[in-house]
Amino acid sequence: MSEQIATIYKRMKDLPSTHILGAGTPMCAGCGGLQALHEVYDILGEKTVFVNAAGCMTLLAVYPFTPFRGSWLYTSMSSAPAGAQGVRDALDILLAKGRIPPEEDLAVAVLTGDGSAYGMGLSATSGAIERGLDFLYLCYDNEGYGNTGQQTSPATPHGAKTATATGPAGFGGYKKDLFAIWAAHRPAYVATVIGTEPLDLARKIEKAKAMKGPRLIIALAPCPTGWDFDPQQTVEVGKLAVKTGIWPLKEYENGQVTHTKVPSQRVPVEEYLKKQGRFAHLFAPQRDEATLAEIQAQVDAYWAGMEGEQ
Amino acid sequence: MYRIRFHGRGGQGMKTASRLLGTAFFLAGYQVQDAPRYGAERRGAPIFAFVRAAKAAIFERGIIREPDLVVVADDSLVPVPMAGVLQGADPHTVMLLNTGESAETWRHRLNYPGTLLTLPAEAAERAELRFVGATCAGAAARLLGVIPRETLAAALHQELAAHGEAVVQRNLDQALAAFDAMAEHAGCVGEGAAVGLDRAPAPAWVELPVDPADAAAAAIHAGATSVEVRTGLWRILRPVIDYARCNRCWWVCSEFCPDSAIKVVDGRPEIDYDHCKGCMICVAQCPPHAIAAVPERQFSEAKA
Repeated sequence: MSEQIATIYKRMKDLPSTHILGAGTPMCAGCGGLQALHEVYDILGEKTVFVNAAGCMTLLAVYPFTPFRGSWLYTSMSSAPAGAQGVRDALDILLAKGRIPPEEDLAVAVLTGDGSAYGMGLSATSGAIERGLDFLYLCYDNEGYGNTGQQTSPATPHGAKTATATGPAGFGGYKKDLFAIWAAHRPAYVATVIGTEPLDLARKIEKAKAMKGPRLIIALAPCPTGWDFDPQQTVEVGKLAVKTGIWPLKEYENGQVTHTKVPSQRVPVEEYLKKQGRFAHLFAPQRDEATLAEIQAQVDAYWAGMEGEQ
Repeated sequence: MYRIRFHGRGGQGMKTASRLLGTAFFLAGYQVQDAPRYGAERRGAPIFAFVRAAKAAIFERGIIREPDLVVVADDSLVPVPMAGVLQGADPHTVMLLNTGESAETWRHRLNYPGTLLTLPAEAAERAELRFVGATCAGAAARLLGVIPRETLAAALHQELAAHGEAVVQRNLDQALAAFDAMAEHAGCVGEGAAVGLDRAPAPAWVELPVDPADAAAAAIHAGATSVEVRTGLWRILRPVIDYARCNRCWWVCSEFCPDSAIKVVDGRPEIDYDHCKGCMICVAQCPPHAIAAVPERQFSEAKA
């Protein structure tokens, strides 16, 4: 395990009690992505510029309304990290020329969904990491193209029904391992988080904020609309994602992957799946034992591979 | 040409309603357009979908401004200006409201000039709301009077088959029950006249002065302006804190609220009802169960 920086977030009561992300956004009621974003923004602070690829969160800032305290830039799905490069360069030039004092410098954060992070924007992200761009990337991963009606994305898990995987077995492919892809670039920091584990999230954002270079965060975003569950279940679904081990909370730095919250006894993954309408066909009219066993086996294999590392 | 507008909240199946009715029209030999309003359609937010149907080719495009039939799945939308429920309604327009109140009450309240009918809104669980779309489509089909019962059923099978037999059957029961319930009013909706270009007003030219770039550019010079948007209107359930039971843990409801709609002042949580969208995460997560979910209707009734 790498050297732990002393965190100021030791317990829940250390988390900020006021929130800087404005209310009144057009995100769905119960949005797990917005939950993660407001928690992240509380830690990052107001001096952050968001570079937002097209997706659900593009609608956060619909002129003349914005929930942010500072600037926001909208890019195509494929080019948010390139946009971040431009903003970072502009800030660096202004700093170098003395046109803004150092205290007016801003942190540059990319904000995209999984369609962009896992798919269309991956090339631009790879390039930005390669150039050592000093930025933070926050991906809200709701495992599909949610803004347009939850079509299959490269983050869609095996067996899930989506607007484009409507057959009796759901999506036949497998969720891409973006954490591993990003970590393979050897950036400063990569982490997975979830809004329903705010303390773990806060510590990771605190750590990332103190670093330089590319820092990339994937937030699993339980999505009432796209995953088909009642909005009040967002936290329960998110907590089950962690307890079942299907969403491992981990971080990468200095070539090492560390799990930050290891479920002591993993809850069977079907407890997570059966809360969601997108997996309902695995339980009714009859249980799809083969698919359920396959999903469980993948989770078990993942954690078996992690033994010895802890 | 028939022009039908379905109003509801995201998640109440208005897009499905328009598809069901559109497909039923098509199977009945009509040319059809059906579309949801494209934009920020969100769970709980006011949305609408529309259908045009005619025996001849349809050249009209865009949102329906002169509806022959307006179907409202959620009566709490009627007084919400942004929902635009009453837009373009005239004495020719039939209004069908899904409501717990009587048609007489609504006629009086709205001073509505045309035919106003009601569907008896059941005090349903939120999870049941998704079936309202099928009810609305079934009722609309009967009011139009040109779609046979079996055509409606065939359209429903065609549109919903991918969701499995149980879902099809549940929707079919709802749609056909509504179809039958409207028997007394069958065919009360008449076709509206074609709206040609000749009826559209000639464009008026507006000279725009050339502004300096810093004034004309789409820049927002203040932070968190989103608070001007009252997303509290999305809510059908209201979380209400029982402060006698609240144990002042302070972070749970406030931290988990996705919408920054719960602030904590001196350890005491306060819910911002102008912006709370009614997701009920706080109700589900409050450790001492000090937050109750109260139907929003009770508050509007108390006010009236």
